Amino acid sequence: MNCEICQLKELDVEHFEIHEVLRCKILHTILFHRALGLVRPKDIDLELFEITYVQCGDVELERKVDEKIDQFLDRVDKHPNKKNQICLSFYEVKNKQPTWFTNKVERLYWEQWYINLNVAPHQKGHSGKSTSSKIVVDPEAEERTVRRAALEASLRDVLFQIIRFVNEKKDHIPPIPNLEGVSFPYEITISSSSDSAFGMEMFKRMLQTGHPTMLS
Amino acid sequence: MASYHGNTHSERAKMEQIITEFFAKSLHIILESRCPYVSSRNYSGEQVLSSLSPSSSSSSSSSFRPRDKWFNLALRDCPAALENIDFWRQSNLEPMIVDVILMQRPIDWDPLNFSPKTGFVSGKERHYYGSDNEEFGCEGRNERIIERWVLQYESKKNGGSTGSKKRSNCTSSHALYKKSILLLRSLYATVRLLPAYKLFRDLTSSAHIRMYNLAHRVLSFVEPFTRREEADMQRFVFTPVDASCGRLCLSVLYRSSVVDMGSDPSTPLSPQFIPEYVGSPMAEPLKRFPSGFVSQSSPSSSPFGRRHSWSYDLYRASQPSANPSPSPSPTYSDSHASLAKQRCRRLPPPSLPHHLPDETLIAYMKTPSYDEYWPSPVFSPSPSPSPPTYVPNSHTSKALLRCESAPVSIPVTKLSSMPSLPNKQLMPPSPPLKATLLTAAENIAHLLSFSKDKPHQISGARPSVNSSPSKSFSSRLSFQDDYDDGPFVVEDDEILYPSSRSGLFELPGHPNEPGGTLFVKRSQDAAVGALVRMLKKAPPLHQDLQGSTLQTPTNSIKDTTEISEEPRVQQSSASNIVSSGLGLVTSKTTANALEELHGYRKMKDSFLKLK
Repeated sequence: MNCEICQLKELDVEHFEIHEVLRCKILHTILFHRALGLVRPKDIDLELFEITYVQCGDVELERKVDEKIDQFLDRVDKHPNKKNQICLSFYEVKNKQPTWFTNKVERLYWEQWYINLNVAPHQKGHSGKSTSSKIVVDPEAEERTVRRAALEASLRDVLFQIIRFVNEKKDHIPPIPNLEGVSFPYEITISSSSDSAFGMEMFKRMLQTGHPTMLS
Repeated sequence: MASYHGNTHSERAKMEQIITEFFAKSLHIILESRCPYVSSRNYSGEQVLSSLSPSSSSSSSSSFRPRDKWFNLALRDCPAALENIDFWRQSNLEPMIVDVILMQRPIDWDPLNFSPKTGFVSGKERHYYGSDNEEFGCEGRNERIIERWVLQYESKKNGGSTGSKKRSNCTSSHALYKKSILLLRSLYATVRLLPAYKLFRDLTSSAHIRMYNLAHRVLSFVEPFTRREEADMQRFVFTPVDASCGRLCLSVLYRSSVVDMGSDPSTPLSPQFIPEYVGSPMAEPLKRFPSGFVSQSSPSSSPFGRRHSWSYDLYRASQPSANPSPSPSPTYSDSHASLAKQRCRRLPPPSLPHHLPDETLIAYMKTPSYDEYWPSPVFSPSPSPSPPTYVPNSHTSKALLRCESAPVSIPVTKLSSMPSLPNKQLMPPSPPLKATLLTAAENIAHLLSFSKDKPHQISGARPSVNSSPSKSFSSRLSFQDDYDDGPFVVEDDEILYPSSRSGLFELPGHPNEPGGTLFVKRSQDAAVGALVRMLKKAPPLHQDLQGSTLQTPTNSIKDTTEISEEPRVQQSSASNIVSSGLGLVTSKTTANALEELHGYRKMKDSFLKLK
């Protein structure tokens, strides 16, 4: 079984936009398409953008996603000048046949989603409190509005990209093991790139297709 | 073998059922995010809002209905979808085309005066069109298709199942079902990313009155878009889902500029005060109401409550000569004129005429800008329409009306029937007041001459005067009320003609004849006495002149009363008639009378000296 990899379009976001962008992209597009059990979808409106995404309504899933997003934010704060990436992987557990080499549970990844974000340097005094009603200078406000509109359009394009990918790639999906919430086991990994380290990580993953390493 | 065929049959049945339910589910997903209206059947707005709010939980304790379990997707109720789905289940998998239509109100639509206009159709009314309804003008000026969803099952020609495909058929239904789930997930996400969803949210979430609405129609066959139309639209094609006997295809054509079309300043549902509404006197005070309103809304016929605000103002504002507001309808004005006449004829007793001159004088004084034909509405005794029922080109301008009625013409011929009246004494066409004054003076003169020439006729005249009291009375009334027969409708014998003053002094006999002299003296005295009485009884014409008119003739009156006591009775009726005529005497005529009185006085003195 091949692992289908989808590299999503890179987005230039500000620090305060990370949370909504990631939640929208992860929950709306990917997990909803992979929660193939009985769900009652819930529409969520983004605050920063005129986009409505859908949640499958799994509380546990929302908690896990929020945790990962917080970790990502911490990573961004620690490495402000690096590109950051979130990887959402779906796998299936292979037969647990312990060998004398390893007792690890083998995971067979059949799908990976790479979300690339280019986070702008966090400027103090700027609205990391974007929702506040601060009065900014007109040129900056206009520039921000333009940038916001561009980001919204890019985000919408990314969502359509996900939908197309989901529609085009269906044969690699394994049988549905769980009818509750997200039907397939998944993991969310966070990585920040350095010029060399990031490339090496990508190379490793390409060589180890189906046996991805878990990065902390 | 039999089991195989049985399995095959059941497998085919399952697939057909999956496809049928797929159509239903797809329609449900599309319409629940495009149909803003809420049906009372099995549906509540609270459910919609609660499901749209972030606080709602998808894993609520509410039970899943059977149709929710299809494709593991529980959706909100959508009556429009349910109604269409029931029909579509019988359609034998015909293509399903769902058009989402943007209905826009006209630009000049006024929310204050909101009423559903033609051309604006709610989604409820047009939520479904049968497969044979292709006459819908989707490209009307207020309608535009913003989305077209096309769902169809393309069957393969070689759909027969064989032994080699048994496994695939078995798995086909399962695979078909799983892929259908994925496709519907994508559909659910896609409908919320398209521009039309924003319009739907605005319609469902906002309390403002929008200038647009969303409608939809579900058809089997539609005319394809033209190249020009399709060039303005974008297409998104979902990956078809293969089945054993065909494949499910789903695509959408949508307009990306829908937001611009639907974005308009929403009208909040806040009341506004219109200061000048239609029909307000402030808006158009001089508005002429059409004949259809006639008696109800015409200012001249407005009820009591409004008449004072409308009719009087209009009366004062309108000029009869300068395009006055005509009566709402000629018949109406004529009827009211006749009614006014009748009311005037029913006026009270002869004592009133003494008050009449005051009132009429007041009328004239109040309306100096008018001709003297228009009475003031001050003393309008009846709710008859006010004067602005002036009808040009009529003879009404020549009449003097007491009531608020249409002026009535004065037939000049009646005045000309008086044989003793010289031509110049005919009432001129214009002011009857002047004619009245002249006539009064002339009557005085005539009376004097008559008493001189035909003394016996005085007594003769007396019966003529007294024999026809009704006539004189009626004539007096007519003078008072109608003025249509002229200010004086009296017998010829009873009229004095002051103009023939010289004739008064032309004695029939020789002045030296004693009998004639006495007769002359008595006649002259009688005339003087009558004149004096006339002047005495005449009301003050003017405040300034009142004192003078009363003072100057006092001495003369005292002198003449002693002499002319005898014919007082004889001349009473005539004097009354004359006094009534003198009710219209102006200061100028009074002065003339006073001058004549002085002349007579001198004559009297001269006669006494001659004695």
